[in-house]
Amino acid sequence: MGHAQKRLYSTAAKLAIAPSYIRPFPPKESFKSSPPFDPEVWAALQPPAKSAFFAFAHRIGLGTILTSEKTIQQACVHPSFLQFHQQYYPKEPLPASNGQLALMGNSLMGLFASEYLHASYPHLPLRVLKAAVSAHVGPLTCASVAQEMGAIPLLRWRRQPGTPTRPAVMHTDALSSIPRAITALIYQERSLPAARKFVHSFFLSREADLRTMIKFSNPKKALMDTVAKFKREKPKSRLLKETGRFSNSPIFVVGIYSGPDQLGEGFGSSLRMAEYRAAEDALHRVYLTRTPTHLLQLPSSTFPSERGDVFKDGPEGEYVASPIGEAEVRYASSGRSHIDEDKDDRHEDEWSDEDI
Amino acid sequence: MASRAFVAPAKPIFRASLRSSPSNGLDAFIPQLRKMVFEYCETWPTSANMRTYILNHLEDVARQNPHCEIVVKNRPHGEPIVRGFYLNTRDKVIGLKDYEVNGIQKKVELLLDSSGAKIRPLKGSRVVESTTEAARGIWSGMHVDAPFKI
Repeated sequence: MGHAQKRLYSTAAKLAIAPSYIRPFPPKESFKSSPPFDPEVWAALQPPAKSAFFAFAHRIGLGTILTSEKTIQQACVHPSFLQFHQQYYPKEPLPASNGQLALMGNSLMGLFASEYLHASYPHLPLRVLKAAVSAHVGPLTCASVAQEMGAIPLLRWRRQPGTPTRPAVMHTDALSSIPRAITALIYQERSLPAARKFVHSFFLSREADLRTMIKFSNPKKALMDTVAKFKREKPKSRLLKETGRFSNSPIFVVGIYSGPDQLGEGFGSSLRMAEYRAAEDALHRVYLTRTPTHLLQLPSSTFPSERGDVFKDGPEGEYVASPIGEAEVRYASSGRSHIDEDKDDRHEDEWSDEDI
Repeated sequence: MASRAFVAPAKPIFRASLRSSPSNGLDAFIPQLRKMVFEYCETWPTSANMRTYILNHLEDVARQNPHCEIVVKNRPHGEPIVRGFYLNTRDKVIGLKDYEVNGIQKKVELLLDSSGAKIRPLKGSRVVESTTEAARGIWSGMHVDAPFKI
């Protein structure tokens, strides 16, 4: 047995290929010396076993929805594979790819994530909302979910370097197209609420820490402007507890108060650091307020769950829009932040401290 | 405060590099076993129980676990084994030479229930595993009624 044949058998054994579903084995190309035969290229061209596709559909709970092997296979073929397939098997029909499905699925996932996150966190600043949507349904998360579903052996793709007209195709790009294509398939086979349920189960139940995404370059100033916007008393920082002031490891606990109400609390090894953290804590408590899940109202609940007329009423009935959250304070907006400026009793940049 | 504190510009966050962490089982559960390969010999007596199991029970197992591909493979002049492949790319191999049919059943259930993770000691450094700090919060000497005075 030649070297090429030995590598062929070992490569075929490692991948999810069942000999009963592939072309005649060993392939005729392996016996020819020119063009030189590459077993890895040959293995990448072979389709995975039918049973692998059905097992995948059942694993993600869509055994009754994705009943056709062709549709599941289509969801797993990235468009970068087509040219590769054409090059080696020019006479065979091209397999269907998931390009359009992935595009539609991406839009759907963006819709579901945006409405869910906006309804859950009504006061979230816009840039943070966009970052949160990326964290929940972005390319890395989609690739991660595809990996956790076990779609890596089913993916058919080809690595492509970036050109001036087209971005590079890496493994994460190809993998991320699979969950998007599946979302679009569910939308096609069933309805929008069904696709939404899929995205909620697999993507929006995952954990993404939003506190790391809200960054303020000057939290004290931002808090001052936020408090003015909510028409409350000016924030005052007060030292609550301290220990070791002149030692090498002091701890200060500072609270920020608006009148009698505490807005935030922070610790630090210096007074300024503690105050900074207290301002950040106060801002987090405002901007990260979350709607309880049982009070969540999503606009897409107005869509019906049967196929047919899209303008019929949805299963959840009448949609009542929740009140729009307070808009974020644009504190570095050079006077265009539209905050009421009462120049009589408020001076810019003045922070009121006590007992520090 | 007379002096203004230095405010550094916030570091930019690149949205394409943000991701969320997995939570299998919180809403949707993905079973971790993807394929089971049953290897047996047609002639040797050590594979007799395995052959009985494949003929009588394997189809029911396959129907009840549609998420798992089941492959039956010939292993001429070899001992019977079952190989389980998991989503974390690991595999578990169990030799079934000395087992009765219900013993083989138990081993198959073991493979079906497992996550494929390596078996590590439970006690020691792995006593508590959690993504959150603590349900009641970490104790703080600053937030008690009577702080300790030296």
